[in-house]
Amino acid sequence: MPAAFAVTSLHKRFRTRFGRTESVALDGVDLEVPRGEAFGLIGPNGAGKTTFIKCLLGIAHPDRGAVELLGRRPEDPRSRARVGYLPERLALPGAWTPRAFLASVTRLKDLRVERAGLDALLARVGLAEAGGRRIRGFSKGMRQRLGLAAALVGAPDLLVLDEPTDGVDPLGRVEIRQLLAAELARGATLFINSHLLSETERICTRIGILSRGRLVRSGPLEALTAVQQRWRVRFAPGPPVRAEALLALGFEPSAGGGWELAAPDAVALNRALDGARAAGALLVELERASRDLEDVLTEALAAGAA
Amino acid sequence: MTSVAVALDLLREAAARRWFLALALALTGLLLLLLTSLRLEVVDGALAATRLFGQPLVHDIQSADVALRPVFLVASQLVFWGGLAFGVLSCADFAPALLSPGRIEHLLSLPVRRWELLAGTFLGVLALALGSAVYASAGLVLVLGAKTGVWTAWPVVSAALAAVAFGSVYAGMLAVTVWVRSAALSAAAGASLVVLGLLATHRRTLLDLMGRGVGRTLFAGLTAVVPPLGKLADAAGALASSAPLAPGGLLRLLAGTLAFAAALLAVAAWRFERRDF
Repeated sequence: MPAAFAVTSLHKRFRTRFGRTESVALDGVDLEVPRGEAFGLIGPNGAGKTTFIKCLLGIAHPDRGAVELLGRRPEDPRSRARVGYLPERLALPGAWTPRAFLASVTRLKDLRVERAGLDALLARVGLAEAGGRRIRGFSKGMRQRLGLAAALVGAPDLLVLDEPTDGVDPLGRVEIRQLLAAELARGATLFINSHLLSETERICTRIGILSRGRLVRSGPLEALTAVQQRWRVRFAPGPPVRAEALLALGFEPSAGGGWELAAPDAVALNRALDGARAAGALLVELERASRDLEDVLTEALAAGAA
Repeated sequence: MTSVAVALDLLREAAARRWFLALALALTGLLLLLLTSLRLEVVDGALAATRLFGQPLVHDIQSADVALRPVFLVASQLVFWGGLAFGVLSCADFAPALLSPGRIEHLLSLPVRRWELLAGTFLGVLALALGSAVYASAGLVLVLGAKTGVWTAWPVVSAALAAVAFGSVYAGMLAVTVWVRSAALSAAAGASLVVLGLLATHRRTLLDLMGRGVGRTLFAGLTAVVPPLGKLADAAGALASSAPLAPGGLLRLLAGTLAFAAALLAVAAWRFERRDF
């Protein structure tokens, strides 16, 4: 599958006015996101997430490395024409109406402005009733929704969203998740930068962890959160099974009445399960033990700091 | 076309600003006041009597077009210098607002080239200056034309010249903003260019008065490139009052002013292309 974007050995340092290096924002990042995927970039404040997005879209110039955005250089307007971007803190013209703002974005994308299209976009983000109001009276959540509507102008192939649910109430977050799911189903690629790990976990299928300008982990969400060689097992509460027998087979009791088992391969796993069944246990549930994204992030950051 | 879209957005933004609403109201009010309070009696093409607010103004009987020349001359100077001062103050914030965090990132993510953003901002401000100057001068021409039967387009041409002069000043303001995003600094740069433009008008006289040294060289260098705004204002006045102009003089002035503005815009575009946001 062709890549939505690919960056190779991306370096970016910020310097003071006198040329002294102030901070290393990106220190050799390599990342490729295939089209049609939902990728989440997470990391602590100052990790370089926003700088990464700026380099990706040509807003900042990398010191070294290559960026390919939808098969072209980010400086090429033809690549950016197929991108929708929601910045972290979008400054909106307070005196304008949302309709006028979306019309301006549509014109700058060299698309035809149609009132019905603008209204449909506003309705998609839940601002149908506010189309004629001045933006200066909008709440933070409404501004965020309008920013999202602007990113959706022209049905872009790649959506780059920096904290898309920031300031949005819980119900609004559900709506935004549904909207992003619809965009994904349409075939768009999502690239989300968020500090809300639960949001990222719900939307994205692949995750990258950025720490001190380096991509310390990257891969499918399931693989990152899975604990290798460890399984969660639940037995039917029927015939009594001696705990000693299970403990002797290597099972360890876990919270909630279940068991956990460390097995290096399928043979060892099945041998232990056969032993449990021989001891009278009835297997009802088996799953790979996994952690939440917070555990993964904490571990990755600790490893990165070491 | 993208630059035009950026320029139109700037005009929409200006329409919502109090500065420009106040200017539009003030100009309209002034023109309405003249329309209703000024009474001119023209007999066989000659201005026989003038009344303002019912009070007679004493003057000799003379041809109406000749009588209006000083009026257009004064009006052209008001438009020129008043427009420069108003423009420097009221337009200082446009470029800093364009470059404000959260806005410039969004604009640069759109399929817009950086130089198009800069060119659009410049064109928008130029259109604003031209629109305001032409509105004021064309309004005056219409009011006086309706009252005297003297119709001339030269005051409008003169106003366009004032807008061109402001364009050269605004190019400097824009270039400064691309380096440092500050409305105050932008306004200071504009005011400095106006002062330098005035000094450049009397360059030779001032150089004769200065002793040799670094200061003189610096002054000579600066005033050699800055458009002599005083000469442009004189040319605008001459155009408005149908006075003779030195052949080729205005063209040379205009060419120099446009070259100055183009050079500053090129420097601004060079810096803007390389800047991170």
